[in-house]
Amino acid sequence: MRNRKWGLYVAGIALLALFPVVVGNPYYIHLAETILIYAILLFGLDIVVGYTGEVSLGHAALFGIGSYTAGIFFFKLGVPLVLVNVAASIVVTAAFGALLALPALRVTGPYLAMVTLAFGTIVQILINEMTFLTEGPLGIKVPKPSLFGHKLSEFEFFWFVAALMVIALVAVTRILRSHLGRAFQALRDSPVACDCMGVSVYRYKVYAFVISAGLAGLAGCLYTYSEEYISPNTYNFELTILFLLAVIMGGRKTRSGPLLGALIVVTLPSLLSDIHLFRGIATGAAILGVVLAGALLARKQKTARDVAIPVASVIGMAVFSYFLENIVDWRLTIFGFMTLFVVYYLQDGIVGYIRGTLEKFRPRQLAPLAAWEANADASRAWAPPAKAGEATGNLLKADAILMQFGGLKALNEVDLRVARGAIHGLIGPNGSGKSTMMNVLTGIYQPTRGGVMFEGKSIVGNTPSEIALAGIARTFQNVQLFGEMTVTENVLVGLHHTFKSNLFDVVFHTRRYRDEERAAHQRAAGILHFIGLADLAHEEARNLPYGKQRLLEIGRALGLDPRLLLLDEPAAGLTAPDITELIEIIRKIRDHGITVILIEHHMDVVMTISDIVTVLDFGQKIAEEAPAHVRADPKVIEAYLGSGAADAAHGAAAA
Amino acid sequence: MLTISNLHAAYGKVEVLHGISLEVPEGRVVTLIGSNGAGKTTTMRAISGMIKPVSGTVTLGGKDITGLDSYRISRAGLAHSPEGRRVFATMTVNDNLLLGAFPRLTRARAKGDVAADLERAMELFPRLKERRTQLAGTLSGGEQQMLAMARATMLNPDVILLDEPSMGLAPILVEEVFRIIRNLKERNVTMLLVEQFAAAALQVADYGYVLENGRIAVSGPSAKLRDDPAVKAAYLGG
Repeated sequence: MRNRKWGLYVAGIALLALFPVVVGNPYYIHLAETILIYAILLFGLDIVVGYTGEVSLGHAALFGIGSYTAGIFFFKLGVPLVLVNVAASIVVTAAFGALLALPALRVTGPYLAMVTLAFGTIVQILINEMTFLTEGPLGIKVPKPSLFGHKLSEFEFFWFVAALMVIALVAVTRILRSHLGRAFQALRDSPVACDCMGVSVYRYKVYAFVISAGLAGLAGCLYTYSEEYISPNTYNFELTILFLLAVIMGGRKTRSGPLLGALIVVTLPSLLSDIHLFRGIATGAAILGVVLAGALLARKQKTARDVAIPVASVIGMAVFSYFLENIVDWRLTIFGFMTLFVVYYLQDGIVGYIRGTLEKFRPRQLAPLAAWEANADASRAWAPPAKAGEATGNLLKADAILMQFGGLKALNEVDLRVARGAIHGLIGPNGSGKSTMMNVLTGIYQPTRGGVMFEGKSIVGNTPSEIALAGIARTFQNVQLFGEMTVTENVLVGLHHTFKSNLFDVVFHTRRYRDEERAAHQRAAGILHFIGLADLAHEEARNLPYGKQRLLEIGRALGLDPRLLLLDEPAAGLTAPDITELIEIIRKIRDHGITVILIEHHMDVVMTISDIVTVLDFGQKIAEEAPAHVRADPKVIEAYLGSGAADAAHGAAAA
Repeated sequence: MLTISNLHAAYGKVEVLHGISLEVPEGRVVTLIGSNGAGKTTTMRAISGMIKPVSGTVTLGGKDITGLDSYRISRAGLAHSPEGRRVFATMTVNDNLLLGAFPRLTRARAKGDVAADLERAMELFPRLKERRTQLAGTLSGGEQQMLAMARATMLNPDVILLDEPSMGLAPILVEEVFRIIRNLKERNVTMLLVEQFAAAALQVADYGYVLENGRIAVSGPSAKLRDDPAVKAAYLGG
């Protein structure tokens, strides 16, 4: 397997090296060069679109900024050194990427897309109007560069581009496989959980945009030298759409997808410029469509209704092509139809579709567990014991917490003292303020009034990720896993704080990074062993059954090495035998010195393991005593426990 | 009323159900019990069309509904009160309930008297009556569960699937939920019930199936399952 991969790499590099020699025709070399340049940009765009899940309509502008940085450095500042200009393009464009990401603090989804659209428009106008810098509509001429005093020929420049594309490919792959890439994916799947794992959603969104913009800058710079002439109207809205189309059509979250997408969007305009060629392609597509549909119908995999639209549209296009006099005017229309087609029928892109089809014939085997993963022992789950001595007293002190939503006091002057090393139960009717309390303690809500001290320091006003890093981890009532990531990766996000490596370490795989990655994987394997999910390590989290998802949330929270763990209804939906297992796990967590706050409606859980139980009702504390006393407290029985029949339901489950 | 035979279902590449067969007779309550990951919720989802079964058949009142889109299945007369409630948070309680009756406004189901049924649902779930103009998202967890169940009844369904109706509820509300299930049963509503409190579920159900790793391990009348030592040890907590 490994050999085949290396063979593929060598073949790819050989193809790039030999391409200009074999082809020879400057037109095709230039076309291939453009594909490689676009691919560099698309790798970056995929980080934003595929991984963080945001849509950027500003990448044509970033591309333009990269191009013009190189152009201005050469033409206005007279810097002849191509490597300096490459670096300048990357740095300047990355800075603009940071600027573009700033609004991400407040807006997300379609609104962020609007912001990037506005950014694109503004940049294009500025390039056009700032004639003192950019020469405006006249454009800038830049000859092919020299490298170490040697002027590059067409061939040599192709190799230069190819080499940078390969470097970008390797760098992006390494970034995305590292803790950075995991953070990007995590913030898309569940921003709130991401923050609560100590990974600041905002900061990593900015990182993603900066890296993405840096790649766009590199691509822009190379484009300047490749075209030898730049002018403002290249970097328009159409180009932005083309980039997005390429990523989505090729297949997001892959490297081969952007390469394929680049190939398509670069060659397509040439293919569409010749009416005879287009007629040929359209006819071919129609025949292929009919044959495929026929085969699918014959094998009863699709119904006539499913295939009617695609078949009608390919035939329609073929017929239409023979009525056309001139294809050029229709190019945009055809792009539009292709986008529609891709979005509707190939949501995972061409690469995703091919993978899916291959898997049908050759079912995917989950990656086998490495020997050390299978033999991992649970003792590895725990961080080395903290040097701080066995302090006693209160770990957490919340004073007179008032949390007001409009006129509703969800928490009304509630005090909470959590003793170090205790399991502290928190119960109360639905809507009594338990989850609100959790959200106040983890910084998701800012209390209207009141203070929270953790280990003697106030944490009110800190962000959720700061509080997480200070040592408070949590699970969620409505499970918030990173669904598209594997079980191991979910825990690795919890272990994000163990990484000190920066971008440089990640790209160059320095010793520090390799050590940290190995250590984190070992910890993750240990944690999975502890919570009993070791044999599901490589399964996607969203495929786990509900109860296992809840366990995984606990595992992920343990990765944070918390001193305080907040469990929000960990037993919800669990049947009796699973509950016994859960109780065992919670006990062990406490035995490793982690204090636990436990919200739970299963009385058999709360009453067996809590040292003390706080009862909330309508945002107020109505009791705080040992479990046995709580059970007998008439106020608690009336508000929460109920009299006879509840005991029948619970008693029967517990007895 | 509801018959499932040899049902296979998968998430992605992982097959979760390996051939489930079960039957829910008219007017009866049947419960599915099993540990986590046994496939209870998956069975429910495969029945109501939220995932497409790989193979096997689901028939409702003699009509094959296997693999239909969920909305068609609900028009055919099957209501699903899903795990985690899923109420329409930004709509009022009243509107949530009326949406439950939506299929009755199409030709697929008899219209009947929607207004009268709405009042009947309010009688059955008195907590909702007090809150009928409140937005569903502002209800407490227990009230949302009541709403999800009430919404299911508004279809005038032939069968209701109840998935974990007591999950995340305070003990006092668990009591209430079971009271309502018994109430529905007295009105001859046919139900398939999945419950975390297996013992309580077997109290109210007529018949039970025990699911283990995507297969039916044991089945029988509830009373018999309650006394089965193996079932007791594994699912009823001793």
